[in-house]
Amino acid sequence: MNLVSGIMFLIMLVTAFLYYVVPKKAKPYTLLAISVAFYISLGWQPLMFIIFSTITTYIAGILLEKNAENKTIKKLILGVTIILNGIILVVVKNQIFVKNLIVPMGISYYTFQVMSYNIDIYREKYKAQKNIAKYFLYTMYFPYLSIGPINRYNDITPTLYETNKKFNLTQSYYGLSRILLGIFKKLVVANRVQILVSTISQDPNAYQGAFALFAMLLYSIQLYCDFSGGIDVVIGFSKILQINIIENFNNPYIAESIQDFWRRWHISLSNWFRDYVYIPLGGSRCGKLRTNINVLIVFTLSGLWHGTAYVLWGLLHGIFLIIGKVVKTPSKIINRIVTFLIVSILWSFFIWPDTIQACQMIGSIFTQFNYQALIQNIGNLGLSLANYIVLIISTIAVFFYDAKKSKINEKLKSKSVEIKLILTLSVILVIFVFGVYGIGFNASEFIYNKF
Amino acid sequence: MVKKIIKIIAILAIALTLFYLLNKLLMPKYMTDLVEGSMISQYYNEEKNHEVIFVGDCEVYANFSPMVLYQEQGITSYIRGSSQQMIWQSYYILKETLKYEVPKVVVFNVNSMRYSEPVSEAYNRLTLDKMKWSKEKYDMINASMLENETMASYIFPILRYHDRFDKLTEEDIKYLFREKKNTYQGFLINKEVKPLESIPTVKKLANYKFADIDYEYLQKILDLCKENNIQLLLIKAPSVYPHWYEEYDAQIEEFAQKNSINFVNFLDKVEEIGIDYSKDTYDRGLHLNLTGATKLSKYFSKYLKEKYNLTDYRQNKEVDNIYQEKLKQYNAEIS
Repeated sequence: MNLVSGIMFLIMLVTAFLYYVVPKKAKPYTLLAISVAFYISLGWQPLMFIIFSTITTYIAGILLEKNAENKTIKKLILGVTIILNGIILVVVKNQIFVKNLIVPMGISYYTFQVMSYNIDIYREKYKAQKNIAKYFLYTMYFPYLSIGPINRYNDITPTLYETNKKFNLTQSYYGLSRILLGIFKKLVVANRVQILVSTISQDPNAYQGAFALFAMLLYSIQLYCDFSGGIDVVIGFSKILQINIIENFNNPYIAESIQDFWRRWHISLSNWFRDYVYIPLGGSRCGKLRTNINVLIVFTLSGLWHGTAYVLWGLLHGIFLIIGKVVKTPSKIINRIVTFLIVSILWSFFIWPDTIQACQMIGSIFTQFNYQALIQNIGNLGLSLANYIVLIISTIAVFFYDAKKSKINEKLKSKSVEIKLILTLSVILVIFVFGVYGIGFNASEFIYNKF
Repeated sequence: MVKKIIKIIAILAIALTLFYLLNKLLMPKYMTDLVEGSMISQYYNEEKNHEVIFVGDCEVYANFSPMVLYQEQGITSYIRGSSQQMIWQSYYILKETLKYEVPKVVVFNVNSMRYSEPVSEAYNRLTLDKMKWSKEKYDMINASMLENETMASYIFPILRYHDRFDKLTEEDIKYLFREKKNTYQGFLINKEVKPLESIPTVKKLANYKFADIDYEYLQKILDLCKENNIQLLLIKAPSVYPHWYEEYDAQIEEFAQKNSINFVNFLDKVEEIGIDYSKDTYDRGLHLNLTGATKLSKYFSKYLKEKYNLTDYRQNKEVDNIYQEKLKQYNAEIS
């Protein structure tokens, strides 16, 4: 189900209403009931997978706690549950051995959540959840299922399970603003950029060189607005319910190195790999060679998390991260530009899912860079001049807001209700007019839904 | 506190007004381009004293001229036709019309019986966009929508037409709150001549039987007419293609006989009417042009007069004054 759709907003509205009218103790269970209904609406088959992962890790959690003293049994339990859920993730997501299977929505997100839960209990970081319904809510809380982030049990559950809540207007206003920001990013920016990217990517023979680079740079904007827009909706809606979801982005395109980029992009995934793969492998505590090998392992796995087609993409990020440790310029701006270019060029593997084709398109930048052809044909790529103007203004607005978010929000806090209302209604009207949606435009799904 | 509430209400009111205006601004006006989209709404501005109402697709609004019917026999009529009007749309348009007036005769062009499901969103829009809101419109949208359409986009046209923001023209401002007359009693004049040179090959069909849904709505149209003491007349306009199969004709004939209503297939009367497809069509036989429509309307006016007890309004001074004024404009336009 699409996060930005009439039906989804209706579900959110009903959920928020029910959440605050039911008795305090019933709040988590109400959320669970809605989440289960949401998942059932996607089909019974996906439901079975999430139930299986939840139950196996729930039992594993209790067994890990009970066998706290017996390291061998603990290792065995953890190994079995991780291998089992890991195999399901890889097999189902990549349709290995099984075909025509509906890939359960959010399988990558909830699988990593349940794995982190078991590992943390293994490490005795916190106690296992005994209430199975509550544990189900941790895995099935519906807003995050379509796009993430990967929540840690100890981060989300204090507010997810909290029952002593009263409707809070300030938090709800912030939540609504965040939802609107997400919709704006998705409909006004990402979907508009997608028209250009699709035109170029669908005809790789006609559009190479400068066109390919143009598509890569544009895709950087599209993917950021698409993915972070979806996360904004999830965070915003959760804010209305007073559930804290971790931030998944921190101005990634001002990163000064690939290492810095991964501290700012898809933070929940980077942190997961850092805590559960990189550090256990030895992290940077061992020699240089071993550290670099660890980096490559982590990034290859990160690519695999996205799908088998993205392994090379992950590996290349790892390689550029290692190179970036050695090669750096003293200029912040140059470092930022170089990092942005590397990241953008590597998005080719997302634009052209065929790895060979993606490599050819990257190669074409260096062999047939005809920028004049791009300038001459820029008006024939699917957007009118007015649309280009809207795109430029809205992109600047989004990146400026995200960079100055805290300051802007702080200033807004002191503004009157009337000013806040005018701002909110203006954004809604702008989205209605300048959003790219409806008949004739079919890409309303979020890119990261498939992961 | 009261001041604050008033301010908030005022802000909401302004936002709603803006939203309403944006909806109106962005919706196509159908005044100079795709004028077929304004045919349904032109009716609302007309006086409602018609003894004959036509419903159906382009074969009615392109082929029959109510002004000729009046000129020849004093028959007052109106064509509530629209592009690719489906039979369920004809039913709801008739139902809506009956809220304004009850004619003596309803003429339904049976060409749409060949379609059992909506053909395209664009055609739905041409028929529905400018129709006044009523229960009939709501039901008609539900009956007409394709899978990718939503009721919300009909209620709030901005959801469908927001991408027109860079295509707005002077017309969108000029006709924001008004319309110009594009038809004469629902007849769309076309003076061009594009002769019929060859008739496209007639394809054999796997099944010629009209779908149940078409019969269901044809029966509904008939029932509606009976309830209101209206005589239903089925016609097939003389459009050469899409080909009107004999098997189609036989089914309509059977329905007409069974229900004791008249059916005229004008394709059988082309010679009698004097239609010459080398001169009387503007698109190689698909529709008649002005000369063809005039010939057909003259013939049809006699048929209507003979078969139905229709008033000769040329004898009614009050009505005749109105129609003479209309005729003046009509004759000026066709000359």
